[in-house]
Amino acid sequence: MNANSSPTRPRWKKVAYGGMQPGYDDNYTDESFLEDMVMNANVVKRDMIKVMRDSISISQYLSIVALVGVVWTYTLKSTLDENSLLLIDATLLVSGFLVLLLTEEMLSLNLLFHYFLNIAFFMTGLYVLAPIYKTLTRSISSDSICSVTVVLLIVHLFLHDYSRSAVNAPGTWKNPTLTNCISLNASIVASVFIASRLPSWRNVFAIMLFSLLVFLFAPLVTYCIRKYSFRLHILFSFMLMVVSLALVYRLHRLLFIMFLVLLVFVTILCPYWLIRIQEYKFEINGPWDEAKLCFDITD
Amino acid sequence: MADWRRHRILMVSDFFYPNFGGVESHIYYLSQCLLELGHKVVVMTHAYANRSGVRYMTGGLKVYYIPWKPFLMQNTLPTFYGTLPIIRNILIREKISLVHGHQAFSTLCHEALMHARTMGYKVVFTDHSLYGFADIGSIHMNKVLQFTLADVSQAICVSHTSKENTVLRSSLPPAKVFVIPNAVDTAMFTPAPERLKSDEIVIVVISRLVYRKGADLLVEVIPEVCRLFPQVRFIVGGDGPKRVRLEEMREKHSLQDRVEMLGAVPHARVRSVLISGHIFLNSSLTEAFCIAILEAASCGLLTVSTRVGGVPEVLPDDMVVLAEPDPVDMVRAIKKAIALLPRIDPQEMHARMKKLYDWRDVARRTEIVYDRALKCSNQNLLDRLSRYLSCGSWAGKLFCLVMIIDFLFWCLLKLLQPAADIEEVPDMVQFHHQDEEILMDDSQHQSSR
Repeated sequence: MNANSSPTRPRWKKVAYGGMQPGYDDNYTDESFLEDMVMNANVVKRDMIKVMRDSISISQYLSIVALVGVVWTYTLKSTLDENSLLLIDATLLVSGFLVLLLTEEMLSLNLLFHYFLNIAFFMTGLYVLAPIYKTLTRSISSDSICSVTVVLLIVHLFLHDYSRSAVNAPGTWKNPTLTNCISLNASIVASVFIASRLPSWRNVFAIMLFSLLVFLFAPLVTYCIRKYSFRLHILFSFMLMVVSLALVYRLHRLLFIMFLVLLVFVTILCPYWLIRIQEYKFEINGPWDEAKLCFDITD
Repeated sequence: MADWRRHRILMVSDFFYPNFGGVESHIYYLSQCLLELGHKVVVMTHAYANRSGVRYMTGGLKVYYIPWKPFLMQNTLPTFYGTLPIIRNILIREKISLVHGHQAFSTLCHEALMHARTMGYKVVFTDHSLYGFADIGSIHMNKVLQFTLADVSQAICVSHTSKENTVLRSSLPPAKVFVIPNAVDTAMFTPAPERLKSDEIVIVVISRLVYRKGADLLVEVIPEVCRLFPQVRFIVGGDGPKRVRLEEMREKHSLQDRVEMLGAVPHARVRSVLISGHIFLNSSLTEAFCIAILEAASCGLLTVSTRVGGVPEVLPDDMVVLAEPDPVDMVRAIKKAIALLPRIDPQEMHARMKKLYDWRDVARRTEIVYDRALKCSNQNLLDRLSRYLSCGSWAGKLFCLVMIIDFLFWCLLKLLQPAADIEEVPDMVQFHHQDEEILMDDSQHQSSR
């Protein structure tokens, strides 16, 4: 690049007009080539501890789903009878409300009444539908139902919105995305399938109520706890993890080991992996990027 | 003209007439001027509606509309090998020496370049667009481009920004990438015979009304300019999904009498719209070159444009007012342009444009690239495979596989239909040669309709 070698040769300009620039071929590459390129402009430096703390929400939800699975198994084995199930339901409902009451400062009496009304409707509907659920999958073998349920749960876990970005106020959804809807529906279908294998319709009602309570409201409750105090969130998550690990251990050894490995993978290995691959991050920006509008477009 | 100097070029792109846009007119004008220089040019594109088969255009430009239907945005379905037989046929029939592909979006272009390389032809590729690196679509597109360009003889970009972009996307050595801008047919885009009245200022916008062309910026800018300058009127030509938003804006601010919406403007009528205005407004969010600015400047309009992509390179600073793509700065730029307006002479501007841009100059510069491409050494399959292999740990192996299958398919075709069985087209160039001047004059008239 000897641009200034001869005095007669004019300076090269980064322009397209005026034909070929005298003294320079069309494939001439100036020193200014790529000088407007910006590399890794918006890279966030990640901290191992912070990523691990964030991943706790995932492990927490995994434990919740594991607990649901344990309850399902015990009910199917008839170890848990309907009365204890209803007791669990009531406990969950009351404790969930307590958490909401304690963490939400905006909760008014009116809203509480609204909630109670909704839950009453919900429970009545479930009570009426329970006999139908009971006979829903009578013609299908238990094995296929179990395997489909497992697949549905995996889909649910895969598409679940762990960051709770879609929630803004208790109970109200701000444009839930397609994946959120699919995830929620997968979990509900899984609960219906499991419920349909039970012997009595009271059992069906109890287990349906339990699963729906967990799948619909557990994300909300954990979100409220996390918003209220992060320390409490961590504590609560560890408690859930220990309880679920213990229950899974009592249920099946191999499952326990798989679950433990999964939790370790999610909370320790994945964050470490993320930090490690950060160094391969290579982001290029320059004048060729599409300009971003600095105002909101409201269609 | 000595025969050894003549190239026999096949231009390939999914985009050609009757479709309209920057790439289409680039191919058309470049082909016309190359014909004028005595080369043989054949264009290949896919069938448009019932336009299928061989057609002749002005100046004896032969166009093959191969019978492949487009499936998305005028692109043919990528089949990798489906087009090899017909491309081989055309290459042999027309005794082509060099294949020139246009536009990175065009699947037909990628396939043709791949087959041409397999058959040992020299290939040149022109990139007409800019691409980011961040979203998932661009990442895949860039990989495809890298595959095509891994083995291309020479590449051409339409602006220096586009060259930087292409070099980054395809990891070609910069010395292999030439910058040859578009041009404008100054004979077609002439200013209005007499100067427009200056008691009212007309700002013209002609673009597709889509997000990438900055239609949302217009929605913010137009009411503000109308509020600041009571003597300003807007003419908006073009159609698209964002047209509704512009019409809503017009209703909301009661600007029906000051903002005229023309809808889609056929290219033949663009000049008549342009010459009714004083200022041309371009609000694109991304642009590799922007021929619209050239057309406006050639009609003697002062241009206000967003400073994106290759736009700052297109015109000298005193012929264009540039602004950042945000409404406040664009209003400032329009204010500046209105102040500059009394000093602008459309006829003088047109005369300057004539000197700055000429398709003949583009053709001569492209000719140099062709010469260089033909001087590149021939390579056997193994050399080329090693080049593909270096494209990436997984992609490289995949590319190699694709090329090996292409090679085998070609060998099979050679067995099934030997090259000797394919009839060669007699050259009509000698006939054109004698009255070339007359023909070209004729073509100028026809193209300026």
